[in-house]
Amino acid sequence: MATVELKNVIKRYGDLEVVHGVDLAIADKEFVVLVGPSGCGKSTILRMIAGLEDISDGEILIDDTVVNELEPKNRNIAMVFQDYALYPHLTVRQNMSFGLENHKIAKAEIGKRVADASVILGLEDYMDRKPRQLSGGQRQRVAMGRAIVRNPKVFLFDEPLSNLDAKLRGVMRTEIKKLHQRVATTVIFVTHDQVEAMTLADRVVVLKDGHVEQIGTPEEVYHTPASVFVAGFIGSPTMNFITGSVSSSGDSVRLADNFVLTPPEHWHAALAGRREVTVGIRPETFHVADAEDASVLDIKIDVVEPLGSDTMIFFKIDSAEAVARVVPKLGLRSGDTLSVSVDTQAIHFFDPENGQSLRGSEA
Amino acid sequence: MMRKNRTWPIHLALITISMVMLIPFYWVLKTSVAGENIFAYPPSILPKDPHVFFFVDVWYFIPFVRYFFNSIFVVTIVIALNLVFNAMAGYALTKNFRGKKVVMLLLLSCMMIPFQATIIPAYLVTAKMGLLNSYIGLALPELSHIICILIFKASFDAVPKSLVEAARIDGVPEWKIIFKVMLPLSKSAIATNVILSFIWSWNQLLWPLIIIRDTEMQTIPLGLSYFLSYFEDTTGALYAFCVMALVPTIFVFLLAQRQFIEGLTSGATKE
Repeated sequence: MATVELKNVIKRYGDLEVVHGVDLAIADKEFVVLVGPSGCGKSTILRMIAGLEDISDGEILIDDTVVNELEPKNRNIAMVFQDYALYPHLTVRQNMSFGLENHKIAKAEIGKRVADASVILGLEDYMDRKPRQLSGGQRQRVAMGRAIVRNPKVFLFDEPLSNLDAKLRGVMRTEIKKLHQRVATTVIFVTHDQVEAMTLADRVVVLKDGHVEQIGTPEEVYHTPASVFVAGFIGSPTMNFITGSVSSSGDSVRLADNFVLTPPEHWHAALAGRREVTVGIRPETFHVADAEDASVLDIKIDVVEPLGSDTMIFFKIDSAEAVARVVPKLGLRSGDTLSVSVDTQAIHFFDPENGQSLRGSEA
Repeated sequence: MMRKNRTWPIHLALITISMVMLIPFYWVLKTSVAGENIFAYPPSILPKDPHVFFFVDVWYFIPFVRYFFNSIFVVTIVIALNLVFNAMAGYALTKNFRGKKVVMLLLLSCMMIPFQATIIPAYLVTAKMGLLNSYIGLALPELSHIICILIFKASFDAVPKSLVEAARIDGVPEWKIIFKVMLPLSKSAIATNVILSFIWSWNQLLWPLIIIRDTEMQTIPLGLSYFLSYFEDTTGALYAFCVMALVPTIFVFLLAQRQFIEGLTSGATKE
């Protein structure tokens, strides 16, 4: 069992506070991804859990034990670094066994663990090579092997895939997921890539400017984002944000002259009394209008981006830029006109002042 | 071909400068095998009747072997302990700690104090420790050099921080991080330390002159100075002595010159 808990964790560098009271409870064997843009504090939080950074305030608990003052080596964690942190002068085998040699483990046991890890990661043929003789993906595997042989309570990954090319990143993502299923250990994974976060995580923690914006399953953060920031950060292409005028009763929102949305009933109370609202529409929420659509928007396509499985079309709603995901068989071209509508069940409304979702303020 | 055409003037200039630098060495070598008066005019370029008798004289008529052994012994102690102390100090300086700037400032300031200015306290300390007229006493002031500490610091700074952090998470003790992770990745700094501490210790004259009373304990530079003052008209033998004293230095330098040059320039450019 290995739970990790952060209680009001704060990090300050001098007078500058970079992590502002983060609370997070990670269950045993859970795969949690900390995601956010550069400078949001995700790596700092991970390094505080590892013991590589001091905690200015608050508590970190591993298995219900406060580890604030514990040395990294006494926290029973293993970490995979962004640059792999392999010792260049040691072979793959030595790299994987180096850490174990300091834990009074019998040589035979070390050999067995290293051999087992090499089988799991498919490194048997490379054990006597130096890191410089390996490809990026192989180095990444060695870095993971070095973590596995420790049998740690918690695995920490600090942007481990960011140095790999796009294709290899996809492969390694799958390997990490398989590895987690196999070793069944608590994993905390840091990334700035929302695709990695969505595909790997049991739960995603979205961070912004040193505080938590939202914690939830990948489905939750995608379908019920807590703020404009989360809605914009999760999903590719990003969600469209358009300012709309709300009717006095909150039962309709006007986006353009002839384009009025009728929000589902559960939004009405939250929208009532507001004059303006930020409407969030995912690209796939648009569809080509048909006779059943109550309100239709005629658009002129600025740019068409065919992706094979989908086609992205870029257009304007009044002066706001928007993108929609449509089926490729329409054979659309730049300059074409099209009538589109929106699935109102899947739209989001945010407070234009503070960017928070109005879902929480529903009646 | 184009490249060759462009680089030959530089090569020619470098070869010419190297030849000019080598002339004194050639003159020492020539005199050591011919024994001619170095002020003879016109000077002869090639040695007349070269022979090795001056070398034989030095080997048998003065205790050269003893001087040589003493020097080698002291230099070995100096090099080994320089590597240990300088690497530890250099590693400490890669860390952030309160007062680090003051420590750096102190180290840099101390570099400006000549050895002659500290010779009396150094003598008193050595005497108090009962190390006068001993090998350890000879090595004591040479056991660490600030410039070598800074060379290690620059080299360690270039090692990715994540390597140290990975080692710390793995529970590797700090001494092992220095000697098993940092040092193997700092070969040029090691070479620089070896060469500089070798040369400075090998050429040290003043300190042995002060603390050594026993002829048996004399090092090569001290032996050379005695040789100069006690023997007359020994031009050939003197130069043979110089050549014999120079050989180990050249040998050590050639052995580690590539790493040495890398070491002196490490940290000068961002990789």
